[in-house]
Amino acid sequence: MSSGSQFKQLEKLGNGTYATVYKGLNKTTGEFVALKEVKLDSEEGTPSTAIREISLMKELKHENIVRLYDVIHTENKLTLVFEYMDKDLKKYMDSRTVGNAPVGLELHLVKYFQWQLLEGLAFCHENKILHRDLKPQNLLINKKGQLKIGDFGLARAFGIPVNTFSSEVVTLWYRAPDVLMGSRTYSTSIDIWSCGCILAEMITGKPLFPGTNEEEQLKLIFETMGTPNEQSWPGISSLPKYNPGFPQHLPKNLKSILQAHCASDLDDTLIALLHGLLQLNPDMRLSAKQALHHPWFAEYYQQQQQ
Amino acid sequence: MESYSKALNILMKSPVTDEMIQYLTRTTLQVLPYGNNQSYPSPPGSPSASLSKQPRLPSLRTFITRLVRYTNVYTPTLLTTVCYLNKLKRILPKDAKGLPSTIHRLFLACLIISAKFHNDSSPLNKHWTRYTDGLFSLEDINLMERQLLQLLNWNLRVTNEDLILDLQVLLEPIREHIEITKIQKKKLQQYKKQARQIKYNKCYDHQRSVSTLSNLSSTSTLVNNSYNSLSEMKSAMNGPSLHSHPIDIWHDSNISSYGWNLEQVAI
Repeated sequence: MSSGSQFKQLEKLGNGTYATVYKGLNKTTGEFVALKEVKLDSEEGTPSTAIREISLMKELKHENIVRLYDVIHTENKLTLVFEYMDKDLKKYMDSRTVGNAPVGLELHLVKYFQWQLLEGLAFCHENKILHRDLKPQNLLINKKGQLKIGDFGLARAFGIPVNTFSSEVVTLWYRAPDVLMGSRTYSTSIDIWSCGCILAEMITGKPLFPGTNEEEQLKLIFETMGTPNEQSWPGISSLPKYNPGFPQHLPKNLKSILQAHCASDLDDTLIALLHGLLQLNPDMRLSAKQALHHPWFAEYYQQQQQ
Repeated sequence: MESYSKALNILMKSPVTDEMIQYLTRTTLQVLPYGNNQSYPSPPGSPSASLSKQPRLPSLRTFITRLVRYTNVYTPTLLTTVCYLNKLKRILPKDAKGLPSTIHRLFLACLIISAKFHNDSSPLNKHWTRYTDGLFSLEDINLMERQLLQLLNWNLRVTNEDLILDLQVLLEPIREHIEITKIQKKKLQQYKKQARQIKYNKCYDHQRSVSTLSNLSSTSTLVNNSYNSLSEMKSAMNGPSLHSHPIDIWHDSNISSYGWNLEQVAI
């Protein structure tokens, strides 16, 4: 615990899910920090989002997860002191838009970012934590090209026999089909689907499934990935919002869909990885660890082994 | 360890029982073993004053029982408070003392934090004031929540190992039942095997037209036996009735004396 006076508040960086974030200066070390300020509403007390974010992030020390340095808790304000990052991935991608046309990132950068995202996520999952809100806005980057996962406001610990989970999690565009159909028994695969959506978005510069409501979201997913059934996904018909009358679609060619919005040639291993992350059946999705061993990342893990 | 994990799953899925509440009460009292002696000799306030403003402080057990009833709290949320209470016991100085209501505050703060940490939706602090029948104000509750978070240094993760260790008293009878059921299952299979064998023998005997009375009677007893163990098995599988035998014995010997202790503390 440190006192608030140790930090000088600088310009506002943005509004999070339940807080305002400022750039700050640590007066003793001269380092920049990010100050996430949570106004405390006396009727609510300390928000559960803040309670989870702090208790879970405290123990997550990894180079691809934004570091929580300190917490300042007073009667009407809670300040979380984070490691400073230059911007988030969404802002970075937006900054590259030419006129009205979104532009994807160079594939070598896509690969570097995706690798770091999966490294950070694998660490979360090893520590039995689900992020439950992965999206470009919550991935922070700096000038060195580092990517770190931030905003654990929706995160949750798993692995102990506690109560069921809410299906009202993850920003709509990045929400897995099983969760959209009301599953409450999801696990790490919920974050993997989001990683697949993010990978596609980095390639093309535009969101893969930009639905406006849950129904349309499922429709967009099925139009591209094909409509699942009891054969392709055993158990699907017992999901609360499963509808046997879902319009039937055959899977489309993901490569040609993405290639239309990408200047460089997409290779088949990348498309294979995408398919591994975007499996409709959650049991079939790759784990973060498995994805890191996918051939598309060969250059990275071979380097690591040396 | 595996049978404890199984028992933990069963325990967490069963409804809140009186026995759990008694266990929580004891655990809470142990956090501040000397905490309430100080206030014990103080005379009660004059009747008019105490009646008009402050609601009378209920015994800790009554307090917890009411919270459970008002909130319909899930068993896992309730039982993980035991881990926080035990953490507090390790953190607080051995001779820590407090107001008569301090143990109530400790328990309530642990329950609020457990609900906020373990559930996707949980009551607001203003709701908790209502659940305490006005015993604590919103300011009280916000303060106890903040103090608990600082005491625990925001370390709110609870592992299966923590739960098994801290809930062992509640888990042991379930685990024993699991073991007994396993043995019964085995026995049942043996009985069936024997019954089949006898049936076979009987047919064989019939073929030879030598049916004996003794053989017949033994078959029927065996069938009865297996029915017995079947119904026993069923009752063993059912959650709530799990606690019927061994715990009741345990109750009678320990808890009544505890009730007495509680009354002493609650004044």
